Amino acid sequence: MYDIKKIRNFSIIAHIDHGKSTLADRLLEYTGAVASRDVEEQLLDNMELERERGITIKARAVRFAYKADDGETYELNLIDTPGHVDFGYEVSRSLTACEGAVLIVDATQGVQAQTLANAYMAVDNDLEILPVINKIDLPSADTEMAKHEIEDIIGIPAMDAPCISAKMGINIKDVLERIVTDVPAPKGDPEKPLQALIFDSYYDSYKGVVVYIRVMEGKLSVGDTVRMMHTGAEFEVVEAGTLNAFSLDKRETLYAGEVGYFTASIKSIGDTTVGDTVTLRDAPCAEPLPGFKKVQPMVFSGIYPADGSKYGDLKEALEKLQLNDASLVFEPETSVALGFGFRCGFLGLLHMEIIDERLEREFNLDLITTAPSVIYELVLNDGTVLHVDNPSNYPDPTLIKEARQPMVKASVITPTEYVGPVMQFCLDRRGIYLDMKYLDTTRAELLYEMPLNEIVYDFFDTLKSKTKGYASLDYEPIGYRKSDLVKLDILLNGEMIDALSFIVFSDRAYARARKIVEKLRDNIPRQLFELPVQAAIGGKVIARETVKAMRKDVLAKCYGGDITRKKKLLEKQKEGKKRMRSFGSVQVPSEAFMAVLKMDDDQ
Amino acid sequence: MSTTTSLYFHFPFCTRKCNYCAFYSVPWASEAQKDAYLDALKTQALSFGETRPVPSVYFGGGTPTNFGVSRLTDLLCFVREHFSLTPDVEITLEANPADVSPADLQTLRNAGFNRLSIGMQSSDDALLKSLGRRHTFADTRATVEAAREAGFQNLSLDLLFALPGQTLPGLETSVRDALSLCPEHISAYSLQLEEGTAFYQTRETLSFPTEDEEEAQYDALCSLLANAGYRHYEISSFAKEGFRSRHNLRYWDRGDYLGIGAAAHSFWNGKRFSNVPDLKAYLASPLTANDYKKAERIDETEAWEETVMLGLRTDEGIPASLVSSEHISRLVSLGLLAQKGDHVALTERGWRVSNAVIGQLLL
Repeated sequence: MYDIKKIRNFSIIAHIDHGKSTLADRLLEYTGAVASRDVEEQLLDNMELERERGITIKARAVRFAYKADDGETYELNLIDTPGHVDFGYEVSRSLTACEGAVLIVDATQGVQAQTLANAYMAVDNDLEILPVINKIDLPSADTEMAKHEIEDIIGIPAMDAPCISAKMGINIKDVLERIVTDVPAPKGDPEKPLQALIFDSYYDSYKGVVVYIRVMEGKLSVGDTVRMMHTGAEFEVVEAGTLNAFSLDKRETLYAGEVGYFTASIKSIGDTTVGDTVTLRDAPCAEPLPGFKKVQPMVFSGIYPADGSKYGDLKEALEKLQLNDASLVFEPETSVALGFGFRCGFLGLLHMEIIDERLEREFNLDLITTAPSVIYELVLNDGTVLHVDNPSNYPDPTLIKEARQPMVKASVITPTEYVGPVMQFCLDRRGIYLDMKYLDTTRAELLYEMPLNEIVYDFFDTLKSKTKGYASLDYEPIGYRKSDLVKLDILLNGEMIDALSFIVFSDRAYARARKIVEKLRDNIPRQLFELPVQAAIGGKVIARETVKAMRKDVLAKCYGGDITRKKKLLEKQKEGKKRMRSFGSVQVPSEAFMAVLKMDDDQ
Repeated sequence: MSTTTSLYFHFPFCTRKCNYCAFYSVPWASEAQKDAYLDALKTQALSFGETRPVPSVYFGGGTPTNFGVSRLTDLLCFVREHFSLTPDVEITLEANPADVSPADLQTLRNAGFNRLSIGMQSSDDALLKSLGRRHTFADTRATVEAAREAGFQNLSLDLLFALPGQTLPGLETSVRDALSLCPEHISAYSLQLEEGTAFYQTRETLSFPTEDEEEAQYDALCSLLANAGYRHYEISSFAKEGFRSRHNLRYWDRGDYLGIGAAAHSFWNGKRFSNVPDLKAYLASPLTANDYKKAERIDETEAWEETVMLGLRTDEGIPASLVSSEHISRLVSLGLLAQKGDHVALTERGWRVSNAVIGQLLL
């Protein structure tokens, strides 16, 4: 029974680990949408990896009914949002599909960087924000502090915010009541032309792409021919419905204000871009919903199988991941050193790590991932502008008139006792100080303008280790700035190893060069000859180390005709060979590349 | 297929285990056990029905001289009776200088043993003690003299280098002392630290020579022996003209040999197999305490691998046609391999890194 006044569409937003998924589970459990025994832990995060990292990567949505104290039964649509800075655009689209947002703040930690970022995004989307103080069951909980921080820092009233423990199931009903009373019912007219927002989609091998939408205006029915306004693709709707916790609930028609899904034998997730507007081919709406953006990858790296023969497996795995992740882009790439692999683009470093880990874990691949690179903008002497995301394509330095790099505005929230170390660290990473605000007596927010490539280079992990895990980070791109960049090449035995080249701020080049040649020296096994390891800029060597020649590798004794050890050794050599990269007469095991490319040099 | 078969008898008995040794041995066995072992050896030796001529017999260990001279001679008589030894057969006995008296040596020589491999290891008595050896250099000298007296004309001395606490001058002295005894053959092994040895357990407290020192010791050893007229004919073996160990060369030439006794290895009629390294199990069933049934015939690829990796242990090397000419020219230019007519062989430097070189040739 469609009654737009009884619909509440909302999201839950929070800093990582503040209890978003746990609260979602409790809401579903409380309203009977799922039996408590089914709540195996965080229903909405249904990827193993997400659960492990405690973060939501892909948005999901679920509809459930709630009989409120006013005697009416409401249809609640919870739209989950990805919880990391890399997925900012997806978060913003999910929020657009809502009228309200439950803002969870951990009573033991208060407002954190992503609390702020998410809250601002909700404000920008004109959402009603319902603050909720979570984890009141913990001994260190300070609900008053948390409330004050919400009022002082975010600037929304919070004194009567529900104080709950999602984990223990305390005061869950308060949250539900607040959703019903405070979140406005959606606006929209089912008689107007269809205008629906795509906020997520996934690939199902039977149905094709399942598209998650929020109908803003009009209605969508099975049999309609719909058009995606930005991609122009047209499809006939095969199935439509709402989203239950465990299943899709088929319906003939979805009306304005509702959240649901449709399928239309769509083969590629690329046709259902998040943020696109769905309308009817024969009765289109006047214009698409605002805010659409084609998501551009910001971080790039080469991914290669450690065992070169696994190239086909890697390709298949990437294709499978891409079915459900349109923001993952990749194209074949060949490296002299690493053989056949893929150049992959990611939304950010976390996105890259997740893909890397899923490839290794779900597809059982062993990978070499080259140093992440951002997109540099190069103005050549002849005036042409070049965008380079792969160091291999970096032009001869004499041709470059001006090099520019992407910058971000980074916000770091840290306990005040770490302000000194954090400032020093940001300075080391070429940050330009913008501002510092004391959020309260114990915490401060630092704002820096910073090169993105410093952020992708192990920034977050180092920040965490410098602040005993307390600092939080958020950042947003703010465009390109001129920078003094050079391309650093690594040579083994005089031959350039393309996979190890990278683009670096020139003042930083020497230190990085030294570290890399030292790491290579320590990780390349001795060869049959002395092996020079060099780092060079434009042909000029700036650092050199030597891997000494192997002096002894012999089984002196083969007693009594027992040659089993020799044979075992040969088997081991054969095994090792599969993971060995040869160029010229140099043999380097994949492990050496992995060790060098692992960026832990700030520890 | 070989037209001949060599015999190897293993004696896993030692009074005590040397600190560096990881080979199978038992520290103590009763006379009755040794008698039973003798029977077991005979039983297994006969079981193969081997009728081809036998050009070499080797009694190794463990410590064969710990088995008792009368049992050793008994066994050799048995071998003479049941196998057709070639007229020039080489019959080697490994001897611990602490074990054999001049009378024993005379008995052994009379029984037909014609080559002794004497475990000298070093001429530094303190070093010998630290290795857990039971003898002094004087014992070695006495054994050599008595062996000559008894009529042995083919003596080999075992030396160890790169030992914890061993210096370059110390090694040089040992080599000179060994040379002073005029052996026909010398085997020299660099110490390999093996798990399960006393040295391995106490490795943290031992001062092993550095890589540089070890290389210097090896170089000194090679040049002292070369100057004294010994030919470096295999990774660890040096011989005067005409005294290469025929038995050991069979291993590298892939000739057939039967390994008899607990833990002994065989290569016979195209199969490699071994007896269990377990004295009791072997005594219980000398005919079945082995993996012969599981052993598969060596296939062509494996045979090629063996030919290359074993052949390259010797100075004759392998036919160049067995490996890629590209590899050869690269390794020759690195000074690791040398062309010898239609053969290629490792150089002295090449031997030092032979595992890696062989790996490259075979992969």
